[in-house]
Amino acid sequence: MRYRVGLFLALAAVIGASVVQAASAAGDEPGQYLDRRAEIWNLFFRMMTVAFTVGAVVSGTLIWQIWRFRESHPKATPTEYEGKDW
Amino acid sequence: MGGHSNWPEWVYIGVVVAILCWVGAEAWNVERLVEHVPEDAETIKVVGQQWFWTFEHEDGTKELGELHVEAGKAYKFEITSTDVIHSFNIHDYVVLLDAVPGRVNTVWFAPSEPGEHDIQCREYCGLIHYNMRGKVIVEEPSA
Repeated sequence: MRYRVGLFLALAAVIGASVVQAASAAGDEPGQYLDRRAEIWNLFFRMMTVAFTVGAVVSGTLIWQIWRFRESHPKATPTEYEGKDW
Repeated sequence: MGGHSNWPEWVYIGVVVAILCWVGAEAWNVERLVEHVPEDAETIKVVGQQWFWTFEHEDGTKELGELHVEAGKAYKFEITSTDVIHSFNIHDYVVLLDAVPGRVNTVWFAPSEPGEHDIQCREYCGLIHYNMRGKVIVEEPSA
């Protein structure tokens, strides 16, 4: 457990350090001409693609689990309203 | 922990952290690109006041309600206000920034083709806010 947490923190530190380094290096080079509309739309499109994919995976997993393990608890017995003959 | 495997949780945490890092990096990079003003951009001072826009070019030319620019050039707007908070918006070019009294905010854009585009105020600023409009007229390059 400790090993995993340590590994996780080490990876986070490496990623964090590289992000800080990249952020501090930005601004040195002159800006380039670009189409704001295209850049912003492309970012939106990529984010939406990821969001819908994650949404599909999460809701798909939920639905599958609910279906796969429905009424599977050993202590769950039918109520009197549902009868006993099944 | 007692006897059960928890590797799916770690995989889940790893995936979530990776996605969050990717989202942050992508957004940061696009913001950096979009906010980074090209070296040769011409500065235009934009002043918002109830209820119109005024513009001043680098050579001292002033315009009221209409802004003439050239296609293929970059322009940096230095936006401020003399009364209340307005918001300078050129919808067709996704330019949107608040005009705040006592403060200069900057945003840049590079029109690509000749044409006319609407300017509007995007922050409710009083009775005639709805009509605080203008035009950007993008002309053919002069040289």
